[in-house]
Amino acid sequence: MKNISFLILILISVYGYSQTSNEYQKKVLENTEVDLISSLYGQKGDNAAVTGGIGSEKLSDLASNIIVSIPLNNNDVFSINTTISAYTSASSSNLNPFDYKSNSFNTSNKNTSKESKGGWNANSGASQSITNNPLVNRGPTPWLESTGASRSDIWVNGTFDYSHSSKSRNTIVGGNVSASHEFDYYSFGFGGKLAKLFNQKNTEIDLKGNVYLDTWNPRYPTEIHSYIVANEDLNSGFFSGVTIYDQNRLVMDKNSPDAWKPINTTLVTDKKRNSYSASLSFSQIISKKAQLSLFLDVVQQKGWLSNPMQRVYFGDRPNFYIGNASSIDNYTSKSNTDVFQLADDIERLPHTRLKVPFGARFNYFINEKLALRTYYRYYSDDWGINSHTASIELPFKISDNFTIYPSYRFYTQTAAKYFAPYEQHLSTEKFYTSDYDLSKYNASQIGFGITYTDIFTERKIWKLGLKTVDLKYSNYKRNTGLSAGIVSLGFKFVMN
Amino acid sequence: MKQLFYLCIAVMLLTTLNSCVAVKEYDKIDLNDPDMSLSARSINHFETSFQVYREGASGANGGKSGGGCGCN
Repeated sequence: MKNISFLILILISVYGYSQTSNEYQKKVLENTEVDLISSLYGQKGDNAAVTGGIGSEKLSDLASNIIVSIPLNNNDVFSINTTISAYTSASSSNLNPFDYKSNSFNTSNKNTSKESKGGWNANSGASQSITNNPLVNRGPTPWLESTGASRSDIWVNGTFDYSHSSKSRNTIVGGNVSASHEFDYYSFGFGGKLAKLFNQKNTEIDLKGNVYLDTWNPRYPTEIHSYIVANEDLNSGFFSGVTIYDQNRLVMDKNSPDAWKPINTTLVTDKKRNSYSASLSFSQIISKKAQLSLFLDVVQQKGWLSNPMQRVYFGDRPNFYIGNASSIDNYTSKSNTDVFQLADDIERLPHTRLKVPFGARFNYFINEKLALRTYYRYYSDDWGINSHTASIELPFKISDNFTIYPSYRFYTQTAAKYFAPYEQHLSTEKFYTSDYDLSKYNASQIGFGITYTDIFTERKIWKLGLKTVDLKYSNYKRNTGLSAGIVSLGFKFVMN
Repeated sequence: MKQLFYLCIAVMLLTTLNSCVAVKEYDKIDLNDPDMSLSARSINHFETSFQVYREGASGANGGKSGGGCGCN
């Protein structure tokens, strides 16, 4: 808050100074502008990282962003950018797969503790009455979402941005501070930028630097956390009265040295996760109808880079389960609705990561109706991921006010060297993850958007004139099975 | 890193050669069309966010290149 107060103080000073200047100059931003964007995102897939690379990835997210850009004087602009995002996720709900509502067992259970056993019947390992409805008979499973507290969350973010342009408009400097919060994560960031234009504003070079100082409020898979809380005693705490089965569907002896236990009870030791990024971009006008930009980022991350919510199962360790023993042979099938495998460990990844993406944009104005927008990026990091991203968009003006823009994006990446699917890691490895976001895959995205533009802002809401309305839908498909759709609606208002 | 080296060479060449082209302000009417902007559309704000979270690669797209969890 000190930093934010300091920034506001500087801005007020700049604003005050600007009122004493009588020299006329066209403003960088003529009027206050308000940008509103809302989106609805949904995805589904069968490789949830929280449940070790198998399980439902069903997720929905409703998000809104508002940016208010205020001209402080001829040369200075101050922006406030706030985002709120509310999601529900089957994957993260299974941080505690034992907490769910079962119609047959205890629908009035109000316990939302992350360690709650919810509707699960500890003695039988499944819900009590048996019917043909899987939702009624359900037990703990990676294939259905649970109802615990980690099922949904709200992510909020705020960014303050200030920029100053020189009188010649050939130099722009600026800075920003940001903060965001969700139930297991906090982020604070700040950064600066410098842009220089020359060659009659045909050439621009931008330098940016950003620092994000993030902190985990770690949450762990219920069985691992409960085991540690119970002092590694399977006869007390969460495990008290709970039957654990082995791969052969036999009841495990909790006092045996071969009983289930996670391989490492030391969890997050460093709650920091910091990112330092530097960006260089170069833009050049090539002709009256063509321009391109090249850009390079260097990002260094340090701290706890793995996600403590994500389970890993090793192929060289025996498997143990809670739930309906007769479903164990069917564990990796979606028809498994009532048995859950106890984790061997949480995901472990190196504490540093160096990312180097670079890319280019090339835009060509074909004629008054049609333009071509292209983008390419190559990415490489020291975890072994190399990727290519290419996209093309063809904005087409169908009238003075309306533009449609179909787009296509292709993405491909190699796997991180620490990735292996469910049950394919070995316990002798130092680093491991079964997060399919780090696997080898290709993805295609098809999008279609339409923009309404009214440069005269004739339609008004209060003092705000409507300048543009934008609506876009995109469909995303991976060759590993994940698919997603996102629809976004945006409005731009100008204060008159 | 070889690719990085080639990119730096390309940037230096373009910087050196940029004085060959100088489109005047009054000739930039087509370049100033909103569809010609050398940045991602603002409507792609959340689309870029989900790509950053869902994909191993991030950055070099004008969006956020660090910070945040992306846990879900």
